[in-house]
Amino acid sequence: MSRFTRRSFLQTTGLAAAALTSPLGAPSIIRSAQAAGTVKLGCLFSSSGTMANIEGRLNHVVRMAADEINAKGGVNGRTIEVAVSDPASDWPLYAQIGKQMLEQDKVAALFGCWTSVSRKSVLPVVEQANGLLFYPLHFEGDENSKNVVYVNSPPASSVLPAVDYLMSEDGVSAKRFFMLGSDYVWPRTINKQLKGYWKSKGIPESAWKEEYVPLGFSNFQTLVNQIRAFADQGGGKPIVVLTVVGSSIPDFLREFANQGIKATDVPVLGLDMVEADLEGLNTEPLVGHLNCWAYLQNAKGAANAKFLKQWADYVKTKNVPFKADVAIDPMVSAYDAVHLWAMAAAKANSFDVPEVRKAFAGLSFDCPSGYKIQMTGENNYASRGVFIGSVNEKQGFDVLWQSKDAPKPVPFSPYS
Amino acid sequence: MKPLASDRPFQLLLAVVLAVAALLAVSMVTPLGISAYLANAIGQLAAFAVLALALDLIWGYLGILSLGHGLFFGIGGYIVAMHLLKHSSEVTGRVPDFMQFMGWSSYPFYWAGLGFFPYALLVAAVVTILISGVFGYVSFRSRVDGVYFAIITQALVYVAMLLMFRNDTGFGGNNGMTGFLVLFGWPIGGSGVVIAMAVVSVLLLAAVLLGCRLLLGSNFGVLMIATRDDEVRLRTLGYETLRLKLAVWCLSALIAALAGMLYVPQVGIINPRLLSPELSLEIAVWVAIGGRGHLIGAVIGAMLVNALKFWLSAAAPELWPFILSGLIVLVVLVFPNGLVDLAKLKLTRPMGIKRLASEPELR
Amino acid sequence: MRRLFLILLFLSAAVGSSTAAELHRAELIDRLCGDAAALGEAGRSLMGVAAEGSAADRAWAAPIARAMMDRKLTCDGAGAVAMTADGSRDALSGAPRTAAESGRSPLLSLKNRSVFEMADAALALRSSSDLGRRAAALRTLERHAVTLPELLFESAAAEESDPVLRAQITAVAEAAALNSADPAKRIAALQRIAATPDRRALAKVGPLTKDPAYAADPAFKGAVDATVRKIERGIRIGDVLATLYNGLSFASILFMAAIGLAVIFGLMGVINLAQGELIMIGAYATWLVQEALQRFAPALTEYYLIIAAPVAFLVTATIGIALEAVLLRHLYRRPLMSLLATWAVSLFLINIVRVTFGTQNLNFVTPFYVTGGVPVIGDFIFTWNRMFAIAFAAVTLGLTWSLIRLTPLGLNIRAVTQNRTMAGCIGIPVRRVDMLAFGLGSGLAGLAGLALAPIYSVNPQMGQNFIIDSFMVVVLGGVGTIVGTVVAALGIGQVNVLIEPLWGAVAAKVIVLLMIIAFLQWRPEGLFAIKGRRK
Repeated sequence: MSRFTRRSFLQTTGLAAAALTSPLGAPSIIRSAQAAGTVKLGCLFSSSGTMANIEGRLNHVVRMAADEINAKGGVNGRTIEVAVSDPASDWPLYAQIGKQMLEQDKVAALFGCWTSVSRKSVLPVVEQANGLLFYPLHFEGDENSKNVVYVNSPPASSVLPAVDYLMSEDGVSAKRFFMLGSDYVWPRTINKQLKGYWKSKGIPESAWKEEYVPLGFSNFQTLVNQIRAFADQGGGKPIVVLTVVGSSIPDFLREFANQGIKATDVPVLGLDMVEADLEGLNTEPLVGHLNCWAYLQNAKGAANAKFLKQWADYVKTKNVPFKADVAIDPMVSAYDAVHLWAMAAAKANSFDVPEVRKAFAGLSFDCPSGYKIQMTGENNYASRGVFIGSVNEKQGFDVLWQSKDAPKPVPFSPYS
Repeated sequence: MKPLASDRPFQLLLAVVLAVAALLAVSMVTPLGISAYLANAIGQLAAFAVLALALDLIWGYLGILSLGHGLFFGIGGYIVAMHLLKHSSEVTGRVPDFMQFMGWSSYPFYWAGLGFFPYALLVAAVVTILISGVFGYVSFRSRVDGVYFAIITQALVYVAMLLMFRNDTGFGGNNGMTGFLVLFGWPIGGSGVVIAMAVVSVLLLAAVLLGCRLLLGSNFGVLMIATRDDEVRLRTLGYETLRLKLAVWCLSALIAALAGMLYVPQVGIINPRLLSPELSLEIAVWVAIGGRGHLIGAVIGAMLVNALKFWLSAAAPELWPFILSGLIVLVVLVFPNGLVDLAKLKLTRPMGIKRLASEPELR
Repeated sequence: MRRLFLILLFLSAAVGSSTAAELHRAELIDRLCGDAAALGEAGRSLMGVAAEGSAADRAWAAPIARAMMDRKLTCDGAGAVAMTADGSRDALSGAPRTAAESGRSPLLSLKNRSVFEMADAALALRSSSDLGRRAAALRTLERHAVTLPELLFESAAAEESDPVLRAQITAVAEAAALNSADPAKRIAALQRIAATPDRRALAKVGPLTKDPAYAADPAFKGAVDATVRKIERGIRIGDVLATLYNGLSFASILFMAAIGLAVIFGLMGVINLAQGELIMIGAYATWLVQEALQRFAPALTEYYLIIAAPVAFLVTATIGIALEAVLLRHLYRRPLMSLLATWAVSLFLINIVRVTFGTQNLNFVTPFYVTGGVPVIGDFIFTWNRMFAIAFAAVTLGLTWSLIRLTPLGLNIRAVTQNRTMAGCIGIPVRRVDMLAFGLGSGLAGLAGLALAPIYSVNPQMGQNFIIDSFMVVVLGGVGTIVGTVVAALGIGQVNVLIEPLWGAVAAKVIVLLMIIAFLQWRPEGLFAIKGRRK
């Protein structure tokens, strides 16, 4: 015990403490000094991991929108600088990086998250730091944080119109429903709301069936058999309400087509199905299946043509590893989000979050979808149009139906 | 093993850890010093270091590689998350998200009483010991070891992840649990509370470190190392290794659960990804990079890899996976005993690297 | 065949004026360019043409219905233009003409789509010159036969030149007469329906027990009961077959993913965590072959799945050999470290592929031999892509087995697997065998990637899905035995498929994994342990 005295121990402790205080400044290297002429925006989209295939492209869209604004002179005399990260589809890492961006890099706003769970993980962070998160995905609703801007639609103003259409005379007069989803909050909530909706219409419980598969599930053989059995029972036109996500979507469609089921027999309403999901597929046997979003690539209008060209040019000049001729709803939503933020910041003439938030009321922006998206002071939702798309041979969606105007968003569903 | 009093590197590490704790404690009362953000990062790193120590105890000192330690980390994390949610809703009256979307109006029965922290602590300990005990007993009795044990534990944690992904199990499914508001009556986001959590984590790291060191210095530690180096001989000599292995295995599981309990309140979210086989594998990577069979190595490895990950995921997201894989290959080929070998490098200067590579590794 | 249409079309244009009284062609075109309701009307008129129209009208209408289905009909100020195989032509006159820039292509809603689908098939059945096309059209019509005009089948059967197809048309027509007024026709329909026993048939026949005739006419009652019994039996058989087939197809996937690992793990005790990534690289190699074929030999593109086999094998085998020579060679005495090293390799491979090719799913051409399926009995459909995987697995098994059993290299591999030291002592070049075996194992993973490409989405992450499953197969089967791997894959596949309909896919996976874990506690060496020294 001779050398392990209290004194020597205290000495080392003191030394260590001294040594530690100096690297404390180290993170300031990370914190790139906020130059007078720039304002920072942060991106929280994974470019690796399970979400990378669809989420990764949003990083580039945010950059593209920032470039566009910068070319017009920036916001409040500052140019926008976009900080891109890679949360690697790892949910706690979204929170960690979000925290770092808000507190260390002092970003003016965050643009990020695809899955509900990643949003839920970042939510306490933005609320704590009183930051702003622009969330570009349609989701389960039932949430209204003052620190999140929900650029896409909650189900009450997107899913219900689509299901309504399918149940109507103009649609297919759907009477029976097979709900197939990935097992997590979004499909569960959507299906819960749908069931509530059908109950309110007096449809009996025997008319629907609910199945869940794990995320990333790919072997749909048995489930498609079940769907066939369900469809063949008779009792009215059956449809599949598909809420599986990610790589499960193309895997499901492939099996569905292989078992020879056509859209005219059992149409699939793929609520999370986007153009990107059809990329690797032969869509000929899938023609006629439906999806439902606030934007489709085939939307008519000059704003869309401009957006598509801008994206194609951006992909070409910046050598972006995504397809130049595929645009999906969340891309447009992220693009809208950057513009909404810039408009609000310009209107408030400030980058302070409370000021910017106040400026949201009454904003409107010409979205590539062709609708004028609007924000009111009531909540942090933007009102968007609704499209129902129909799969075509060219791995895209034709616009089958679209709403007359942008319906007012209803954050909290009356049917849950 | 050197007596504790003359083990300079270990003393130094312990001193550093205690110094950080002291510094954090000072920052809590004065506005100067460490910011809440940095404190939080340090707190998380400390939780990872505790987790790495848990694995090092069983792998480095007993030669049993578990690729399923995330399971115990997860048990601790889930139970503390349940406690926080229950407690938060008792204080604020807010119903947890998962109950909303599942349409449940009352908690499942196994949530009963978890709002009371000591009870939650007890539950965590009992569940951990039960699961690790049963699994360990069956495995060690049928002499499943080495690579097989690694694969089976990996499958076990995978099973747990799949189960937790299910929403109807009442643990929040894929979304897991978020929205913790209150910790022992305090609002959880306040910078004082954040730093306090970091202080507790760092102090517990010091305690675990010291505890492990004392254990390894005792006769029991000698037996552990003997088991690692030649279990067959030990058994031939008439020593029943089953009980020893089981005890260390359960202890290691308990420490991992403790790490989970420290980690979750600081990140504010738990979900089944914590139980993914990759995370469990990563724990082994931290230990291997730092140096298995050295308590210092485990702590340094966990801290280094995770600090790099925090930093590079934001600063150079494209590079991070390449750096990590490069680091692993480097360690595996050049420093068979991890970065701790760097310390030895100085002594055998000219031939250093070559000598290290040819040095037999702990089996 | 399209050309023949057009010849007929011109003929019809010549005599057009005489048939104009029955069919207002211009009016139909107007409707096609109208709103959704008008489109529906137009579809029904087309169906009418198929059933009752003159040959000239039918020949005129067939390409239009087809163009509508493909969304290749453009409406503009001067009428409508249909894109056919022979270029774009005016829908009304058949004269070559291109659509105006401002034209729009009417999109079929789902409801109209089914109308047009039937009309298109009906027109094809009556006027296509291609037997295959007529047979396909009949299959499409069969599903909705009850709702179609009886006259359609009668005239089609009368005109049909092929005796087999004629018999089929008659059969469909008879089955469609289920709700006819004539009891004899109904009984005949029941017998026809019983010939294809599936749930759809049951849904048709089941409600007949409430039919007034069921209570009144004992002969009808007997026929209905017999039909229901027969259908139910067919469905049961179909379900059993479907379960077996699904199990077999899942087993073939598991087997393909695991066989490479079985060789590597069995031989060297190395846990190769990069095995999943080698599968992924095999799929990427397959894709590159497809792209190369498309560019240099477009005629062969359909056969890329076969042509790519040696490429996928060689690419991954080379990577495997390089991996062994550079990295794993130094780690044989440290299996747990080789585990971490291969994990690093897997991380590296995922990211290098991600950086090079991007994260998007790869686009694979679906060749004709893995498209669709054949309905067998009940609700059992024999899908070709699964059959391809099964056949591929069987061939791979055969080749691997012969390699291991019949060649000198195989003999060496077996010797080293059984006793490494002794094999070295009798002069087997152990190091070289290791390297070649590692190459073989990696190459097999590459083949797995090829086999999985038509079934799964191919992206940098895909390998991650297989690693735990394939380890379970190898360990359960017993290290170092191919038979064990086969049996374990079959068992796991089948049990999984049996449990899935009862408790869902997740529960099936959990239960199967727990069963394996429990089994391994009881018998750590797996199902078929080879008798060698345990290391």
